[in-house]
Amino acid sequence: MLEHVYWIPLIPLFTSVVILFGGKEGKDSKMPYLGIAAMAWCFLQSSVIFFQTLTGRIPLLEGKEYFLYERIPWLSWGPNLKVHLGVLIDGPAATLLFVVTLVSLLVQIYSLGYMYDDKRKKRYYAFLSFFTAAMLGLVVSSSLLILFAAWELVGVSSYLLIGFWFEKPGPAYAAKKAFITTKLGDCGFYFGLLLLFSYTGTFDLVMLKSHVAQGLLPLEAATAIGIGFLIGAIGKSAQMPLFIWLPDAMEGPTPVSALIHAATMVVAGIYLVARVYFIYTSAPLALGAVAWVGLFTAFLAATMAVTAYDIKKVLAYSTISQLGYMMLGLGVYGYTSALFHLTTHAFFKALLFLGAGSVIHSVHTNDMREMGGLIKRMPATATTMGIATLTIAGMPLLSGWWSKEAVLHAAYSHNWGMWLLGVLTAGLTSFYMCRLFFLTFIGEPRDPHKHQHAHESPATMTGPLWVLAMLSLFAGGLLHYNGLFEHLVHFEVVGHGEHAGGSHAPAFLLPGAAIFVFLLGLGFAYRLYAGSLKTAQGLRDRFEWAADTLERRYYFDDFFLWLVSLSDKLAAACFWIDSRVVDAIFVDGWALVVRAVAAASDFFDDYFVDGAVDGMGTLTQDAGWGLRKLVRGQVQEYLLYVSLAVAVFATFLISR
Amino acid sequence: MELLSTITFLPLLGGLVILCVPKEKVGLIRGLAIFTTAATFAASLFLLGGFDPNLVGESIPKLQYVEQLNWIPSLGVHYFMGVDGLSVPIILLTTLLSFLAAIYSIGIETRVKEFFFWYLLLEVGMIGVFCAMDLFLFYLFWELTLVPMYFLIGVWGGPKKEFAAIKFFLFTLFGSVFMLLGILALYFASTPHTFNMLELMQANGSWSRSFQIVVFIAFYLGLAVKIPAFPFHTWLPLAHVEAPTPVSVILAGVLLKMGVYGLIRISYSILPAGYEWFLPYLIIIAFINIVYGALCAMAQTDMKKMVAYSSVNHMGYCLLGLAAVSTTGFNGAIFQMITHGIITGALFLLVGVLYDRAHTRDITAFGGLGAKLPVYSGIMALTCFASLGLPGLAGFVGEFMCFLGAFAYWKFWTTLSVAGILITAAFFLRMMQKVFLGPFNEKWKDLPEINLRELIAVGPLAVLTVLFGVWPQLILGLTDPTVKMISNMYEHMFQLVR
Repeated sequence: MLEHVYWIPLIPLFTSVVILFGGKEGKDSKMPYLGIAAMAWCFLQSSVIFFQTLTGRIPLLEGKEYFLYERIPWLSWGPNLKVHLGVLIDGPAATLLFVVTLVSLLVQIYSLGYMYDDKRKKRYYAFLSFFTAAMLGLVVSSSLLILFAAWELVGVSSYLLIGFWFEKPGPAYAAKKAFITTKLGDCGFYFGLLLLFSYTGTFDLVMLKSHVAQGLLPLEAATAIGIGFLIGAIGKSAQMPLFIWLPDAMEGPTPVSALIHAATMVVAGIYLVARVYFIYTSAPLALGAVAWVGLFTAFLAATMAVTAYDIKKVLAYSTISQLGYMMLGLGVYGYTSALFHLTTHAFFKALLFLGAGSVIHSVHTNDMREMGGLIKRMPATATTMGIATLTIAGMPLLSGWWSKEAVLHAAYSHNWGMWLLGVLTAGLTSFYMCRLFFLTFIGEPRDPHKHQHAHESPATMTGPLWVLAMLSLFAGGLLHYNGLFEHLVHFEVVGHGEHAGGSHAPAFLLPGAAIFVFLLGLGFAYRLYAGSLKTAQGLRDRFEWAADTLERRYYFDDFFLWLVSLSDKLAAACFWIDSRVVDAIFVDGWALVVRAVAAASDFFDDYFVDGAVDGMGTLTQDAGWGLRKLVRGQVQEYLLYVSLAVAVFATFLISR
Repeated sequence: MELLSTITFLPLLGGLVILCVPKEKVGLIRGLAIFTTAATFAASLFLLGGFDPNLVGESIPKLQYVEQLNWIPSLGVHYFMGVDGLSVPIILLTTLLSFLAAIYSIGIETRVKEFFFWYLLLEVGMIGVFCAMDLFLFYLFWELTLVPMYFLIGVWGGPKKEFAAIKFFLFTLFGSVFMLLGILALYFASTPHTFNMLELMQANGSWSRSFQIVVFIAFYLGLAVKIPAFPFHTWLPLAHVEAPTPVSVILAGVLLKMGVYGLIRISYSILPAGYEWFLPYLIIIAFINIVYGALCAMAQTDMKKMVAYSSVNHMGYCLLGLAAVSTTGFNGAIFQMITHGIITGALFLLVGVLYDRAHTRDITAFGGLGAKLPVYSGIMALTCFASLGLPGLAGFVGEFMCFLGAFAYWKFWTTLSVAGILITAAFFLRMMQKVFLGPFNEKWKDLPEINLRELIAVGPLAVLTVLFGVWPQLILGLTDPTVKMISNMYEHMFQLVR
């Protein structure tokens, strides 16, 4: 299984091509089943690999930190410069293979129900397969350049899928915004790649690691590269300040949001930082930047989620916030905790999105103010969503609890201030998630008409929900049990154990604080949103300025829109210069020069050339006039001239 | 007749035959022209088949398919043709684009006979430029491209065709005059006097630095106009917009490459000291081309003009690669030339397809075409993504290698140039959003889908875009051995990070 791991990205790639060009488009297209079958195979292979590596059935290669490392040359040029296509399977890669194929499979099954009457179903499945292929390529690649290529390709898939309903202006705009915003981050990634290559001459992760271990990378370079990669990750993983694209990306079909914008693609940035963690651990400044970016993102996004009424937007902010936790984990040497949180988050966040999709599918609105009381109409959706809500909110012993505690623990050992803000954010998370649940499922129906028509979703949709609900309940505990996950995914930082530095907390403090804020958030949400919304509305009216700020996303959007309009002005100015200055200099300027030269030459022509010609004419004429005087028809005179001439010549000849 | 001469002069033969056909027999003329370009392309495939990329010289390029005849003995002018890994891919690009654009030219309705005559004559000039290894011959071919282009724009172009044609002509002529002076300077500076490029490459050791710089500038003026490098690029947007679609394809796909080719073949190879002196300026010009060209493209509402300015931006990447003077940079520049030809050629064809139907190229005039024209929109999206450098498509590798090469030496300017990538993405995506996405503009409800002729012309380019993106070694394998040799030619002079 492991030695044929390259099939895992290749199968969906071929499948996507087959789906795109084969078969018939339409509601009744059979192609979706092909996509699901292919993904089922990939999932099977991935889970075998995951469990074999997890349980130690497949050991690490001797003396190495990875299970498999195979490559073939893709590009080779110059004095032995090469870029390889290859696979590098270590703990995180094996984990992500499992996560990505699982969520992709569930989302594809779910989409059978969600997209059942879409007229471009075939294309949708082709895009999903293509995305999964690119994402899996990103996960397994042994080369940073190929990782970057896959990184861009998942970006394009995201573009295509956000804009899947491209006839509507919203998705069309959101797709573009997502692509360009992440591209802004990619410029940092690009720069990091260039700088990295100029020092090491390779993109191969294994070779890079040994180069860095040998100290080939000076501190400043490592820091600059780390910051560059971080900027890329900020774009892709929707961190501050580039998170602006993710809330808009919710314009895409909801299963897409679950797959791409919650569970997989957005964690690519986290994964990138983890993949090159050896660079960050050699550059403390860059690692510190990772931590602070993550922390502030987690906090800010959580506050923004508090006031939103669009169910998907709340989940989007929540995703940003949770991604912030992962970044924070990485930044405070909690490598394992960050990837652990990535894994559990994939399960419960995919569940939340798919549950929200089930609700939207049923009531045809995203606005939670038009929902309420849906638990009676959609018991399965409500139950599973409830499980996911408790999981993300931090209910002890559920999946999210274990991973978030691990992150916060790492933060505490690093800097207790970070921990404090992290715990505060956890409280906010509990509040806004419970708020979402209460607004949607509890209380009186606020829109009786919509409530009337609401219905539970078909089994293709609820099935995946239950699977994810089980994982949300138990996966964290199971992976935590016996340090299973820590054994699979860990990073030895030289001179920095996970518990070194920082302070030690009393054993009860960390979990105690977490439980406290969880209950606090739950209680507040219940008080404000489980019944009438009057109190909440009152609070909102009193703190309108704060609510406005949150709804405007702290004006980050406005800042970037201003940037866009600025670049438009710059473009217009450049074009003005091009047509009015540069071109004018060359066209009009040349015309001027040519005309001046022409005028000068004309002048010369008139006064000198013509003058000379005329002069010759006059001279001839004058000579003629002069000579005519000699010629008067007197033969004697002529004879005189002749004899004179003869005499002169004769004298001349004789005198010689 | 030898293969290179066959490839070069086959189009001339075809053109002469077309001259003998009565102008009413439009179908026959078109058939003959397409047949000729197809045969030329086939012959160039033979060239590729027999070409051994690994056969390279030690200190000067070792040419293959060499033809050397005395032509004007009193002046030392030879008919000297030959190819190496630098020219072979470009020749193939030339013959391929000429063939595909000829298919597209079936759409030309007026003065068909004259059109194809000039078209084929243009192909002779273009192929000749890349084969000629004698400066005199090179200059002859170089100038030979000028007159057909003038007529092709001036007669079959858009509303401002005459102005565009004369502007193109004057700009290029202005450059060529200096280049001629440069050629003469080299001729008289060499002992014995020669136009032979290979001999001149060996003769430069005895020339003073200042002499090389002066001659370099003369050549640069000629080449920069063609590339086009800032500030000599302003002829390009106008010429592109006014030229008929197939001519735009040739103009962007091949003619611009003559400039970059000349920079490597002549400026760098014959005048290394001048080249070395110019590098600090070249990198700045590359930066301006990339960022300023992209910004100008972003300001356009005419699709064709946008693509034209994007060429300025993309040729900037080539210059970036050239400024690196390393195997990475040179390989990247050549790769970028080839892929730019393919991608931008396709873009011009696609814009032409839309213009032929809608008679407008205004980005804001459309909307939602993606639902109406799925095939066309799909190919267009592919090409746009290729042009903005999406990995997996052809545009990425060349661009990345240019950056990679240049970054080793010019960190500051190369880093700034990265902004060009972002701006390129921005204007292509904005165009796609306005034309293909959003609500469908009912005005275009009768717009027909791309037809077979157009598909045959664009299809191969789209396939190559994917092929070279996935398997870039196809091009690199051809160029790399030669590039390695070329970039090591003056190792002592360019002490760069390699």
